[in-house]
Amino acid sequence: MKANTRSALSLTALCAALAATCGPARSEQDVDIVELTRPGSSASFGLGYATNDGPRFGQYSGLEERGAYGLLDLDLVRREEASGTWLKLTGRNLGLDSRELRFEHNRQGDWGYFIELNQIPRLDPYTVSTQLAGIGTGTQTISGLAAAAPVRLDTRRDRVTLGFDKLLSRGLDLQVRFRNENKEGARLFGQGTSPGAPNVRFLTDPIDYTTRLLEVTLGYTGERLQLSGGYYGTDFQNDIPALNVVGGIAGQSPIALPPGNQSHQIHLAGGYNFTQSTRGTFKVAYTHQRQNEPFVTASATGRTDLGGKVSTTLLQLGLTARPLPKLSLLANLRYEDRDDKTPIAQYIASGAAGSTFDGRNEPRSIESTTGKLEASYALPMGFRLTGGLDYELKKRNTYLIRSVSHRDETEEVSARAELRRSVSETVTGALSYVRSERGGSPFLTNIVIGGATGSNLVHPLHLADRDRDKVRLTVNWQPSLPLSIQFFADYAQDKYGGRALGLREGTAQTYSLDLSYAFTDKWQGTAWISRNDTRAEQQTQSGTTIWAADLRNIGDAVGVGLRGKPYSWLEIEADLTHSRDKSEYGLARVSGAAAVAPLPDAFFDVTGLKLSAKYAVRKNTSLRLSYVYERWSTDDWTWTTWTYTDGTRVLQDPVQKVHFIGIALQHRWQ
Amino acid sequence: MEHANHPLGSVIRGIAMALGLALLAQGATAQEAKPARKDMVLKGDAVCTRCHAEEEEYPVLSIGKTRHGTTADTRTPSCTSCHGASETHVTRPAGAKERPKPERVFGRKSATPPETQNQACLACHQGGKRIHWAGSAHATRDTTCVSCHQVHTAQDRVRAKATQAEVCLACHKEQRAQMNRPSRHPIPEGKVVCSDCHNPHGSVAPKQLARDSVNDTCYTCHMEKRGPFVRTHQPVQEDCSICHNPHGTTTPNLLKARAPFLCQQCHEPTSHRGTIPGNVTGTGTALNRAVVLARGCLNCHTNIHGTNNPIDAAGERTFRR
Repeated sequence: MKANTRSALSLTALCAALAATCGPARSEQDVDIVELTRPGSSASFGLGYATNDGPRFGQYSGLEERGAYGLLDLDLVRREEASGTWLKLTGRNLGLDSRELRFEHNRQGDWGYFIELNQIPRLDPYTVSTQLAGIGTGTQTISGLAAAAPVRLDTRRDRVTLGFDKLLSRGLDLQVRFRNENKEGARLFGQGTSPGAPNVRFLTDPIDYTTRLLEVTLGYTGERLQLSGGYYGTDFQNDIPALNVVGGIAGQSPIALPPGNQSHQIHLAGGYNFTQSTRGTFKVAYTHQRQNEPFVTASATGRTDLGGKVSTTLLQLGLTARPLPKLSLLANLRYEDRDDKTPIAQYIASGAAGSTFDGRNEPRSIESTTGKLEASYALPMGFRLTGGLDYELKKRNTYLIRSVSHRDETEEVSARAELRRSVSETVTGALSYVRSERGGSPFLTNIVIGGATGSNLVHPLHLADRDRDKVRLTVNWQPSLPLSIQFFADYAQDKYGGRALGLREGTAQTYSLDLSYAFTDKWQGTAWISRNDTRAEQQTQSGTTIWAADLRNIGDAVGVGLRGKPYSWLEIEADLTHSRDKSEYGLARVSGAAAVAPLPDAFFDVTGLKLSAKYAVRKNTSLRLSYVYERWSTDDWTWTTWTYTDGTRVLQDPVQKVHFIGIALQHRWQ
Repeated sequence: MEHANHPLGSVIRGIAMALGLALLAQGATAQEAKPARKDMVLKGDAVCTRCHAEEEEYPVLSIGKTRHGTTADTRTPSCTSCHGASETHVTRPAGAKERPKPERVFGRKSATPPETQNQACLACHQGGKRIHWAGSAHATRDTTCVSCHQVHTAQDRVRAKATQAEVCLACHKEQRAQMNRPSRHPIPEGKVVCSDCHNPHGSVAPKQLARDSVNDTCYTCHMEKRGPFVRTHQPVQEDCSICHNPHGTTTPNLLKARAPFLCQQCHEPTSHRGTIPGNVTGTGTALNRAVVLARGCLNCHTNIHGTNNPIDAAGERTFRR
């Protein structure tokens, strides 16, 4: 209980006393009690104005263009107390392209249903200047327009989710979820050829997808046993299966676009409490996935579709126990077998001698087994010491003729220790260390058509031998009642073994400091600063020249915030943030004669200021004024010096500033 | 002051005193009768709400606005279902300097062990998506239910799309930094939320992912990448996170590194795969520039997740058709 309110006569006590002594004269207090204990509704409507186009600012919010926007939010809630029946209508951003609306009706503890509509826009931040005709369609004509026209590509997901719940009997419930999503629009695409003299044409990826998810789950929750099982089915359809390119590169049309595919899964998961401190869990699931979309061009095999079939079997077993009051144990085993049963056919004639391609399709099967053992012991003063071992074995199939190096198995063992203090009035935190070593079966020798040995110089990043060390420290310190401090530091280092080319070493560091201070009961402030620094050192070879890249990304961010309620009728919020992400490439020649010129760094800066004031016009009515400023800038050179062979340019404004002002009236009622 | 001696004033004072005495008498009578205090929200809460009110640091009455305050549901708990009977807290033993705490107090500063705190919730909420809570990363790190959830408020911040990320990022600082990067999911806008991909209550997938694997989780929104295809790209079939960091990157499409560097981490340097990126100011050959400018390797290899076109060795096998 807060010191300043300890001696205060609580509203509750007052209301209760009045209710007990004043009989019928308590109606106003009853109203207060109702306000405090019954769900209420609110609606907010207003107008906003953005001063500039802001492709980055409005990338996902729908506030991308200069102009006025409607601000409308709804939260209508009604509960019938006698039956526990809820009726809810929730709307967010209803005046924007990112609108969401949900209607829900349920009798708690009995039945319920809902329907949810959700729009997710995505504006590509680049402006394309192109003569391409047919953008976003299945037939696109390069240089089809007389003159280049500016285009902004975008996509939008329109999602409808339906849900039904029924409590069949005590502990037994049925849940049905269905989601239908249409995604339409276009994004950057292209076609190119001739490594020696690149001929790269601009195209757009036309998108007209429908994705459906259906989940029917029967659940049982008992004191000891819990079960959850059912069916999960998915379906993907692409209404534009191919892109026909007119005026493009010879022999590269049509381009196949993502094929429709489906999956059906049955699953059962459960948990059983053997004792109060010993629990076992499991999950078994079987998924059958298929892809038999008709080919967009005829196949010489006579097949009209791939006949893709993938069966995935999942098995998980877990056990947690506390054999001694201070000792906790954990064991977990997970096995997943992704068996790609797609028939293999000679779709294309085998490449010539020396080729890394034999013309057949290559189904990919992966079998993975992971295990975990962990012991945790409670120490005095709220400390806990934890030690654990993690194990992962992955088996992958391959084919004799390959363009990338391969090993059949990778095996990784991790040992970790952690000292944690989770419960304390002043200081909590954890210090942990993890050491992982990944190895596996010997790398296979790459063979090319004709039987000669191919190139065997790179161990792929997910297959290579790797030693990883990771240290993490978190501290939450509350030196005094109004002040709390949170410090986080994380350092990880990867060292890759094996061959000289490919990834050699990587590091990742994150540091952050967060402060929170309550100046008074009415004013609270926050401040934080963080740095994230990742590096990857790698080498490869061009001709006889070996060259290296030291890739580095440094992200610095800082923020301050203020929350205040100086008067009962006024609430103030202010947030100022700034972040800078810088990418470095560190190109250098290791040996050989070819020139290795440096690549310039690239930065992305974002500065944001958010101010809002909420003024209570009346008890249940308030006016919110908000102001948002965002400045986004970059010197990214990705597109600035690039021109497609067909003359298309893709550019973005390197400095984008947007001021957004909003005013909204909110009303609350019971 | 003039009124004080006015005869009418004396009459008024007299009437007021009489009324006051009458009220006092009524109050005294009522006290003697000790009528039962009424519950305000939950069954049996009168013993709690006589002291705990809305002015508390952690308001209690507003639980009435939540599903936990829907008394028509026979499963709805009482205060003591979660906090324990707490008799010494209610009666305060004679001689005790401070009122003893309830049997179960929730929060980081509580002396109640995290497991005991969570058991209060799991007593009812152990089924469904929480079956794998025991042994999960959150459970074994002493995360309590109230570390994330606000039980006594109508709007639980972690269950609202607009505010969920704030709750998660309070601990997950690395992800907070990554979400500032130029390529990201619309998490700050609340259009994608952490729980779309993760089940914070535990799952059988790595990283507490919502579906059974990394890829199955990604496919819920990106099913066009699933295939299988005539020509598959092996890492695509295995794990999307080999190439992508879903929390944010500086390279478009959430790629961990820019092409050609990312591609060169796996591919043998034959043909043009080891090409040295050309300087953006124009040095180097057209190929040197094409592998790093615009979409880099993906300028040509556009169908990088796989292609389902069964013809043309030059196009299909290299993800161009």
